[in-house]
Amino acid sequence: MATPTAATRIRRQLRTSPWLFAAPGLLVTGAFVLYPFVSTLVNSFTDRRTLLPGHFVGLANFRELLHDDMFWTGLRNSTLYVLCVVPALVVLPLLLALLVQKNIPGITFFRSAFYTPVVASIVVVGLIWVWLLDERGLVNALLETVGIGRVGFLSDQWLLLLSAMAVTVWKGLGYYMIIYLAALANVPRELHEAAAVDGAGAVRRFFSVTLPAVRSTMVLVAALSSVAAFKVFSEVYLMAGPSGGPAGEDTTLVMLVQRTGTGLTGRVGYASALSVVVFVVTVALMLLVLRADRKEEA
Amino acid sequence: MPISRRALAAAVAALLLPLSACGSGDDGGAGSTDASGKVEGDITFQTWNLRANFKSYFEGLIADFEHKYPGAHVKWVDQPAEGYPDKLSADAGGGTLPDVVNVSPDLVAPLAKAGLAMDLDKAAAKYKSEYLDGAWAGHQVPGLSGTYAFPWYLNTGPLFYNKSLFEKAGLDADRPPKTYDDLFADALQLAKKSGGKVATLANVPTIEDFGRYGVPLMNKQGTAFAFNNTKGIELLTKYKELYDAKALDPQALTATPESSGKKFLTGAVAMNPGSALDLGNFKKNAPGLYKNIGITDQITSTGHVNMYVMGLMVNSRTKHTPAAVAFAHFVTDAQNQMSFAKKVAIFPSTAGSLDDPYFTKQDGTDETRVRVAAAKSLKTAVNYTPVLFSDQMKTALRNEVAKALQGKQSPKAALDNAVKAADRLLQQG
Repeated sequence: MATPTAATRIRRQLRTSPWLFAAPGLLVTGAFVLYPFVSTLVNSFTDRRTLLPGHFVGLANFRELLHDDMFWTGLRNSTLYVLCVVPALVVLPLLLALLVQKNIPGITFFRSAFYTPVVASIVVVGLIWVWLLDERGLVNALLETVGIGRVGFLSDQWLLLLSAMAVTVWKGLGYYMIIYLAALANVPRELHEAAAVDGAGAVRRFFSVTLPAVRSTMVLVAALSSVAAFKVFSEVYLMAGPSGGPAGEDTTLVMLVQRTGTGLTGRVGYASALSVVVFVVTVALMLLVLRADRKEEA
Repeated sequence: MPISRRALAAAVAALLLPLSACGSGDDGGAGSTDASGKVEGDITFQTWNLRANFKSYFEGLIADFEHKYPGAHVKWVDQPAEGYPDKLSADAGGGTLPDVVNVSPDLVAPLAKAGLAMDLDKAAAKYKSEYLDGAWAGHQVPGLSGTYAFPWYLNTGPLFYNKSLFEKAGLDADRPPKTYDDLFADALQLAKKSGGKVATLANVPTIEDFGRYGVPLMNKQGTAFAFNNTKGIELLTKYKELYDAKALDPQALTATPESSGKKFLTGAVAMNPGSALDLGNFKKNAPGLYKNIGITDQITSTGHVNMYVMGLMVNSRTKHTPAAVAFAHFVTDAQNQMSFAKKVAIFPSTAGSLDDPYFTKQDGTDETRVRVAAAKSLKTAVNYTPVLFSDQMKTALRNEVAKALQGKQSPKAALDNAVKAADRLLQQG
């Protein structure tokens, strides 16, 4: 039996040791997540420049962005990105996972092949696609050969955005396919067998057995891909260039944050206000997806 | 588990720390501008993407300086070209800006405004006469008195053109365009004869083009931009004609210098600006083009070509002012600029250096032809880019110009909008 002194010591240790265990994680989170977040929030109410200290300007930055055409362009493009990319990334990887799920000879090759874009550098991938879609690239050469003529994939505002979306989907397929493969592995085989015995065909089994079983995974994929799509930067930056496409019409919100807030004359205060908007919309997107899921469950 | 008040207070303090960002940023304390003391101490020297090709030159230069001033030690750091302004802003914000920094006039302007660049009219006035007047004035910032960097090397690129494409279009390949009017006429003919498959230019007009076309860029006081005048609208209208006729590459709206250079290599574009360094690239990567390469002066309607100015800024917060000023002067003095110019196609900014036979005598090679022609044009060249024309302003101009070329707005409306945006950014500081 512990003496009173030992009991006190144990109680003290019980009080402090969890904090000690959590300390490294808390410090890293505090320094690289919490501090920048609060700093951004504070800066969004100032007119701070890269090299000049800011002064409190209240909601002026937020009022300014309401009148900034480029902000609305960025919001439109980021929203379009979510609306087009998310459905594709929820459905296509599931179909792909169903295809490669079967244990047939050589299937590992296809699983690896579909996963390769995930591990490839986005810069390399972006450059390859730029070469392919260039006015004198392989795709246009093929289109010209079959008599369609050259298509301005990289010079037309909408085609450029669509091309960037295609790259995002192509690169993300493998990642979400792996998530679906894990979910599909947990679908009891007996359910499929029972449904088959009851006379259900492949399509019926997909909708009545597979889909309900992976529904929560679909919600997860929707949530993850919508946040990633809203924050898209690399694909559009690489394909549309630093100017954000013709007349900046393909600029996304995160590109706008980067363009506004960096460099020696960067408007840190205004870029922070844009970042706050990105944060709010991202959180709203997550809540929307989760709410839709709860409604369906109910 | 209950959280103690002390822990809570620490957490709140951590969260409120960023509020200090709203305070004064002037926490470093300016160093002295008195450079008359003993040259000693450890200083850091930062260059802009020069290590890869000129490592031995700079190591030799530093060794010579340290030999001359045994008490001084120079640490050399080099930064990649990509994202250089971001690196400078991070260093400036973090108080880790090197003592001597390679800058261009548009980079030195915000640093000078933030009090981070030393005024060399005070710290190094005795060296002023060693440099070309225009070069010394190149790092002066409107709204501030003083000069904020030693002039280093100057550059001006020739214009390369593909003789074969000119000939195919029925143009005289030995008489390339000299003025913008010649250029527009030749470009339209090239596009017409090639059925729109060969463009002459790969880039939308920049602020330099407006300058070379003879458009006044700012008002006389230097307090507001003025390129939305009749002359500016005329230039943009001409470019719109080129774009519609495919004489301006359809991807020009999103082009970068690298992408337009590649288009020139592949023969998709007939003309491209460059430097003597590009000749080696053509020889290696496009031998077919190299055989047909034509070299001419930059297009200008003012009689003055554009020049790029590099400088060496001394950090105003250096702890070793005499050493930093002495080193910046040492790197940029006539002798060292001349020896650097013999290693790479750049031109010294020191008085009289351009009269050296190296820049005036032909030896029959293309490289020398480019060098001599460039040195000649540099004597009257102008740095057209206004010192205060920031990256954000360049983007605003580019986007408005692109809208005009696409026909989404008139050239006048585009330039009015660009000037309005640039003026707003100028006022915001």
